Amino acid sequence: MNLQFAQLILWLPLLGFLFCSTSGLYIKDRALQKRLTTVIAPGVVLASFVIALLVTLQFGSTSREIIALIPGASIYDPWIRFGGFRVNFNEVIDPLSLVMSLVVTGVGGLIHVYSVGYMKDDRDYTRFFTYFNLFIFMMLLLVLGDNFLLMFVGWEGVGVCSYLLISFWFTDEANARAGNKAFIVNRVGDLGFSLGIMSIWSYFGTVSFYTPQHRGVLELANHVGRVLDVTGAVVPTTAITMICLLLFVGAVGKSAQIPLFVWLPDAMAGPTPVSALIHAATMVTAGVVMLSRCSFLFVHSAVALQVVAWVGLATAFVAATMAMVQTDIKKVLAYSTISQLGYMFMACGVGDFSDGIFHVVTHAFFKALLFLGAGAVIHSMLGEQDMRNMGGLKKKLPATWAVMIIATYSIAGFPLLSGFWSKDAILDSASRSFAGDGMLLYAGGVVTAFLTAFYMNRLMWKTFYTKERFADGHLHAHQHGDSDESGSHGDSHGNGSVHPSPSTMMWPLYILAVLAAGFGWYAGPYGPNGGDLLSKFLAPSIAPLSLGGLQPQPGLLSPMAGYLLSSIVAIAGLVLAAVLYGRRMESGAILEPAAAEASPLVWFLKNNWGFDALYSAVFIRGGGLLAERGLMRGVETDTINAAGDGLAKSVGGISRLLRRIQTGYVRNYALVMLIGAVTLMVGMLVGVMQH
Amino acid sequence: MVPVSYYLSLSAVLFTIGVVGVLVKRNPIQVFMCIELMLNAANLTFIALGRFYGTATGEMYVIFALAVAAAEVSVGLGIIVTIFRSRQSIDLDEAALLKS
Amino acid sequence: MPAIILFWILAIVCVGAALTMVTTANPVRSALALVVCFLTLAVYYVTLSAQFIGAVQVVVYAGAVMVLFLFVIMLLNLGAPAARTSEGSGQRTAAVALGAVLLLVLFVSGMFFEVPGRAVSAASAQAQGTVKAVGLTLYNPHLPWLFPFEATSLLLLVAVVGAIVMTRRQV
Repeated sequence: MNLQFAQLILWLPLLGFLFCSTSGLYIKDRALQKRLTTVIAPGVVLASFVIALLVTLQFGSTSREIIALIPGASIYDPWIRFGGFRVNFNEVIDPLSLVMSLVVTGVGGLIHVYSVGYMKDDRDYTRFFTYFNLFIFMMLLLVLGDNFLLMFVGWEGVGVCSYLLISFWFTDEANARAGNKAFIVNRVGDLGFSLGIMSIWSYFGTVSFYTPQHRGVLELANHVGRVLDVTGAVVPTTAITMICLLLFVGAVGKSAQIPLFVWLPDAMAGPTPVSALIHAATMVTAGVVMLSRCSFLFVHSAVALQVVAWVGLATAFVAATMAMVQTDIKKVLAYSTISQLGYMFMACGVGDFSDGIFHVVTHAFFKALLFLGAGAVIHSMLGEQDMRNMGGLKKKLPATWAVMIIATYSIAGFPLLSGFWSKDAILDSASRSFAGDGMLLYAGGVVTAFLTAFYMNRLMWKTFYTKERFADGHLHAHQHGDSDESGSHGDSHGNGSVHPSPSTMMWPLYILAVLAAGFGWYAGPYGPNGGDLLSKFLAPSIAPLSLGGLQPQPGLLSPMAGYLLSSIVAIAGLVLAAVLYGRRMESGAILEPAAAEASPLVWFLKNNWGFDALYSAVFIRGGGLLAERGLMRGVETDTINAAGDGLAKSVGGISRLLRRIQTGYVRNYALVMLIGAVTLMVGMLVGVMQH
Repeated sequence: MVPVSYYLSLSAVLFTIGVVGVLVKRNPIQVFMCIELMLNAANLTFIALGRFYGTATGEMYVIFALAVAAAEVSVGLGIIVTIFRSRQSIDLDEAALLKS
Repeated sequence: MPAIILFWILAIVCVGAALTMVTTANPVRSALALVVCFLTLAVYYVTLSAQFIGAVQVVVYAGAVMVLFLFVIMLLNLGAPAARTSEGSGQRTAAVALGAVLLLVLFVSGMFFEVPGRAVSAASAQAQGTVKAVGLTLYNPHLPWLFPFEATSLLLLVAVVGAIVMTRRQV
């Protein structure tokens, strides 16, 4: 089977990026440039999606295909070669990379189309799509690369795009700061990832996943109970644990898990499509993708898996509690994203990687839908993001409300919607955790599911049902993110009342709504062709727990009882929110503002459980003190400056002596030259005589 | 037949005389002459070795050395004349502008 | 044997002339001693079967170059330099000491040097030094000398132009 054309999946977005980034040079007509961008930027991504779909349909029987990415090169030609270090420039086409490519290009393509409407009036329209296309390229590199180094290139590339897009409206200092925060926090994780890659290189002697045949890291790890390096020696389990934990640090940074989650809520400073694409649907799932890709390593280390599972659960719970008190509609969704990512990590941590990916996919659909819907709300509200100033939008934005309600019920785990199937699969796996802690993991997951249902319905009520808390014309005064920089929402729409979104913004929502509702059934256990389509498709890319000699425990509940409990919990959460907020249609808040101010719990949750304060105290203030007291006075002034001054003084002293050599008499110089010449000749003579 | 080492030794003596002369003379014209002597000492080794190896290569080098020496002398003496014109003296020790 | 005797006679004259050139303070005397030295070298070249080079040595060195030297000396009308003014005495001592070391090194490398292989017959060596043989070697396009020869002509041209430019009175 010739899948050479699968290269295009990767190259097309790069072409789009190259066009967008350079078009300003040769297209002087700005209107024409904008029209071309409108066609090309989403076009290349959708074309990529079509190709990825064709490849997936053709894929069928084989489990894996390695394709050299440089035209004319074979898959054995190194991309980087020094000493024994060789890295190929290959892409791996296997179920995992195909599923992720489909998600990235499919959801990405829809969000591109949506952005055409959303960014229509932005001054930097083409710049936006430049970054967007570059992001898609980098993300595809991340999921398609056949070695850790290519994955790392993509990993850093999406980080750069994330930074660029968070601070897209960089003239506002808060946005630029948010971009910096995301970038810097991610550095911590990236350091772990790069250390992990180095460890892999030093223990395995290669960083490839699958090439060359049977010599890639994942194939070397594909033995029951032992991991070999390229020479055939056994890699010790402690080394595997270390490598896995280092890789996990990288995943924690990129996927915003505790303790590195603080950047994601701030990342909402970017335009809403950015939040949808990067900070909800694709990039933040990179950590899960990486863990799944490395599942062959992780199953050999029970310790690493346990760490992953518990960090995931802690993140899911903590982020869910934080989401309860947010008033910014995008921040609620941001914390919700962190929480859902925690679920995915928990799935990976109990060795159920394919359900982790399942949740990645369904989450991509409903979270992209939620963000895009929120974007439509914000767009309609001319940039207002504070839910306290919304309410009653159901009448004004019925279509948006309809898609949002599907997404909300899906993420809440309402029976038979996508989120229900994937979340229940994760909870079921968690209850059968190999380490025997299934009870705790399951209970934590269920509580978080309840919180999820509650805060999502809270968002719906505050936004769509309760009484209108905004006045026409009042919205102009509100400056906020999405409209102030583009500066033209107000001009073009004038009257300041709620206005509907253009159709390019609504169609992607309808498509995503269908997927958010139905995909879980299609890929889940009761889907067509005997069910579990996704798990079966992913099987060749995912290591079974048995590879590491681990055994799932028997489940706590029968599958049916599990479904029932999940449904009850989800509906209970939804209903509770509806009841609490339905009682207070006027204010749209459970507590009066004064009471909310006074409540220590609300204060605690609003301040992120003190994470930001802790980091601020330890790293920012502590770092500042260390820099000022320790480094500046101790090291800089007393050591480096003193050393510098001493050096200067001694150089001066030596020069005062040496200047006497400078007599100015040409014959003295000739004499010195002769000394050198004679010395050389003596040396040569000695050398000759020794032979 | 004179052994080649004789010629090399003679050349060494002439070359050393030239070197010492360059270092001790204060008259740049004499310094120049000493340089010429060094060149000729080198030429002698070329000719001698060429003769004993039976190749023409030595002679070729001497021809080029001659040409270079002629060029060097014409330019060098030109420099000396110029210096004399500007300073009314060509004593090397008086041309010590580089002194610190 | 006669060849060795001739070598020694010429060597004494040659080294003597060289020493005179270095030791005398009078530049004219110096130049004349150098002429003697060059002439003895020309004789050496002839005994080494390099007749053409010997002739060139007489014409170019002993003739043209030394005449140029004398011409400049007389143009500048230099007598013996004034009593030493500035020189530290270390210079002369160091120069002589270094010269001794250099002589030792060159001697050691030269004295024990013997050309390996068969001696070249006098007849073939004679044939090699003629104008004809030198010319054929120099202009043979298959040997590497032709291009350097042409480059040398350029060098001489540059030297002539440079000398004229430098000595021209500034206007």
